[in-house]
Amino acid sequence: MIKLLNDFIRLFNASLMLDQNLVEKRENRYYLLSENLKRFIKKDFLYAGTYLGETRGGTFLPSSIFLSMIAETAKNKTYVDQKTEWLFVCGRDIFKKGVTRVNGSREKDDFTLIMNVHDECIGFGTMTGALNEKGENVAVRNMFDIGDFLRREK
Amino acid sequence: MSGKEFFLRRYKELGWAYEEVNLCQAIRINTMNARRERLVKRLKQRGIKLERISYLEEGYWVRSKFSVGATVEYLLGLYSLQEAAAQIPCTLFSGLENKKVLDACAAPGGKTVQLADLMENTGVIVALDTRKRRLTALANQLERCRVRNTVVYNMDARNASELKIKFDRILLDLPCSGNFAADKAWFNRRTLKDVKRNARLQREILTEAVKALSEDGEIVYSTCSLEPEEDELNIDWAVKSLKLEVEEIRCYGQEALTNVFGKRLDSSVSKARRIWPGKTQGFFLCKLKKGELA
Repeated sequence: MIKLLNDFIRLFNASLMLDQNLVEKRENRYYLLSENLKRFIKKDFLYAGTYLGETRGGTFLPSSIFLSMIAETAKNKTYVDQKTEWLFVCGRDIFKKGVTRVNGSREKDDFTLIMNVHDECIGFGTMTGALNEKGENVAVRNMFDIGDFLRREK
Repeated sequence: MSGKEFFLRRYKELGWAYEEVNLCQAIRINTMNARRERLVKRLKQRGIKLERISYLEEGYWVRSKFSVGATVEYLLGLYSLQEAAAQIPCTLFSGLENKKVLDACAAPGGKTVQLADLMENTGVIVALDTRKRRLTALANQLERCRVRNTVVYNMDARNASELKIKFDRILLDLPCSGNFAADKAWFNRRTLKDVKRNARLQREILTEAVKALSEDGEIVYSTCSLEPEEDELNIDWAVKSLKLEVEEIRCYGQEALTNVFGKRLDSSVSKARRIWPGKTQGFFLCKLKKGELA
């Protein structure tokens, strides 16, 4: 069960370690508990502790909290300016001109966390390889952004 | 027994003359995720006008040309949209850190997040509610605001003692009839029969909460109803039937009523607080502890 989560963490070249004994799966959703909280868990809980994400159609969809946890040790991070931040949160891809800094990999298809000017994680995406080329192309494809909270409530 | 005239006559009898209300939008800073000064500066840079709410530690009145529920800061859980009066109940508990807390009617979760914030994500919150759609909203709030100390069950608060946990603090922000300030069609939709039905449900939940409360625990009882059946009359009943004691609270609002439509209530009920609508919606707040005979 924890392999799926560890594999996801590794996509960003991060060193976050999850305690297997504290990870709970409920249907397709994953939660990280504290030792204290674990004592209060019954089988039929709906939500508990830190929500890590869920699997849908064989794909793991992380929560925003989990991404922030990964960001603490991740090497692959792409920083964007304020205008690009909002466009990304609205579901758009990131163009080269909106990128202010890249930490870690720039290689095509590699995963990167998207960070704003306040060093806060606002989602993640995959590199297109455009950062290594000339031109004003899409640099990062949006895979998930925190604007998801607004879209899911509609 | 319904309609605007009927209810306004009741309010007048209780000492409040109807006036048009002008609700102001409010936010509450989630201090577990944000530093107050820094966030205020960020929001002001976005063009949001903020004014500190004098009677709340983390509450601000907001005015903005765009939705304050659609900023990056909101999506990161740095603040919550929470009506000013609704920010008061959680602040009435003493020492929440490392406590076992029951949020008996938790959805959509604004107060659950506030409890987690006041607890600094320590201890445990058990949050209950029954409606699927509202539970989804609760889960979204917990995720957005990075709450880590809460477990949610789809459970009727009237069965809370089945959890077999003795709670140190219980928040009863109860299902109620609401009030006209927050609902334009309120006078057309509500009848005294609804009010009485809700009051019965509230008594059932309160009775169950007492079973789940530790001996020196605290209950905060709140509603956004202006109807005394759901407020003072229920507290009077709790003092007399459940042997609960009303605790002194210091917060915004007037002393609760002790004379309701000619019925004299226990004098301790005056320690509760009633907020008539104005800049905030209407609200009722009371803190209870087990008496020696409970």
